[in-house]
Amino acid sequence: MSAAAFSPSPALPAPAGAPRSVVVVGAGPAGLTAAVELAERDVRVTVLEARERVGGRTRGIEVAPGRWIDAGAAYLGDRHTELHALLAACDLKTAPTEMTGAARFALGADGGAAATVEGRFPPLNAVALGDLFEQLEELAATVRPDAPWLTPDAERLDALTAADWAERQLPHPDARLFFPLFLGEMMAADPAKVSVLHMAFYLRSGGGLRYLNAFAGGAQQDRVAGGAHRLSERLARRLLAAGGVLRTAEPVLSVEQSDGEVTVRTPEGSYRAEAAVVAVPPLLADAIEYRPGLPVRRAGARTGRGCAVKLHLVFPEPVWRAHGLSGWSVNAAGPLLSTVDDTPPEGSPGVLTGFVTGAEAHRFAALPPAEQRAAAVAQARRLFPLLPEPVAFHVTDWVNEPWSRGCYAALFGPGDWSALGPTLTAPHGRVRFAGTETSTAFFGLLEGAVRSGRRVAAELLGD
Amino acid sequence: MSLDTPAVPPATTAPPALSGPELLDSLTAVFRRVLELAEVPADGNFFLLGGDSLVATRVLSAVARTHGVELTFDEFLADPTPAGLAARVTAVAAAR
Ligand SMILES: Cc1cc2nc3c(=O)[nH]c(=O)nc-3n(C[C@H](O)[C@H](O)[C@H](O)COP(=O)(O)OP(=O)(O)OC[C@H]3O[C@@H](n4cnc5c(N)ncnc54)[C@H](O)[C@@H]3O)c2cc1C
Repeated sequence: MSAAAFSPSPALPAPAGAPRSVVVVGAGPAGLTAAVELAERDVRVTVLEARERVGGRTRGIEVAPGRWIDAGAAYLGDRHTELHALLAACDLKTAPTEMTGAARFALGADGGAAATVEGRFPPLNAVALGDLFEQLEELAATVRPDAPWLTPDAERLDALTAADWAERQLPHPDARLFFPLFLGEMMAADPAKVSVLHMAFYLRSGGGLRYLNAFAGGAQQDRVAGGAHRLSERLARRLLAAGGVLRTAEPVLSVEQSDGEVTVRTPEGSYRAEAAVVAVPPLLADAIEYRPGLPVRRAGARTGRGCAVKLHLVFPEPVWRAHGLSGWSVNAAGPLLSTVDDTPPEGSPGVLTGFVTGAEAHRFAALPPAEQRAAAVAQARRLFPLLPEPVAFHVTDWVNEPWSRGCYAALFGPGDWSALGPTLTAPHGRVRFAGTETSTAFFGLLEGAVRSGRRVAAELLGD
Repeated sequence: MSLDTPAVPPATTAPPALSGPELLDSLTAVFRRVLELAEVPADGNFFLLGGDSLVATRVLSAVARTHGVELTFDEFLADPTPAGLAARVTAVAAAR
């Protein structure tokens, strides 16, 4: 679908048979994409959002007047075609991520001395890492990308955790050291909490290891100029322009169906429509009460929260650049398991973003704010010895965000794909499900969210 | 860190000593597989063909498995082409 096809055009009326009114639950990228497509086809749309803001797992922080960084999702690549088209249709631009200079790696068990290395390659045994990547690529290649639960050997792969797998398959200590760091960076997962099937599926869904890992030529090639949250803000504006209604601070508690109608309740009131779209992460979709009840739940007992806390250290300038460093680092000890230069495209202020992922994210999230700051700043200054004291420090704890329950995305644990996969996109009467976790393409990413929103809208419009 | 531990269990039998053209063919095939390309010339530069450091380690792992030679990332960087890699593998194998 081209950008033009998705731009606000003279409204085509919805076809006969399409619902005349729809309630959308969740004003993240998925819900708003669906809402705008429906509203611009003359469907009466009401979006109910639990938070006081739109954007879900995207959120902007203004670090200087008019200069924004991303507290949530940030990056996209050329293969994210639906997202690119939607950004263009919303008059938003992208800016390339910059990554020049050397990286720092503190991979000793004590988290001590860091090594400076050109590029992004860790100073570990290359053959051992190659063996890890060859095995992961081979696993990913076996997955049925459109239906992971139908993968040959799905039952065995779904019963095993990624940690079990590593225990068996990775003889070399360097591969064992790097694997959890890699999985933390790729999918914010603790290897003990995800199934091998989910890991392999995720790598496949996102375009393979190389694509997911790369900045230039990969999934981190660009950022949304002005912040990824702008997408949802622009979509919300289009929704209102098309006559839609957006109600924030209204968490949906229940979704009832009777007499050809859906009633959606929040603490503030109830909303009726001919259909509903639930576009929230699986753990939250599962927390809503459905009447009649769902035949298969939206999350299982072992469905986990993606574990990422995102930190931003703000400096007047990106001083590391002047010393030939890229800002990229990977570290065996926390809290900063990796860092990246997220300085706005304008060149200042200097922003060093830190990711605290996997099991470390839980530990860090439990610390008092002063200790969080002290630990992060001390580590950043060991990695980049010339850093001054930051002028600002931001912590965004997505693990404990009540309306996200983790990020980047839900982690399917052992048994989840087998149990939840077959009904991931199945309607429940007049209720349909969207959200990045319902997209088998680019699962967990903005691209998956946009695709899921477009899918439900097309289903409802009978396109 | 253990840069000296062999990454691949030592082969119980010596890997087949491939002669020049066979070795080159085998390495070209590895480049094609990991780069997902139908054709790779003998002097094709791995990085200009779309490879990056992550994919390069897969080449090194394949070389270790099939030819019993463990190269470092820097050794690969010196001449990252099938021909350059063949020369390096031959030199390392001969030195043993
Ligand atoms: C730190 C971080 C880094 C990330 N990095 C990237 C990246 O670089 N690239 C990328 O593509 N993706 C990235 N992601 C993932 C990306 O943010 C998500 O894929 C995307 O936001 C999913 O959109 P969604 O609409 O499906 O869900 P969400 O964005 O979670 O939106 C769901 C909305 O529903 C609301 N809601 C929940 N429950 C209820 C309820 N009961 N009633 C009403 N409203 C409710 C929520 O408040 C939220 O606004 C990252 C995420 C995080 C957190």
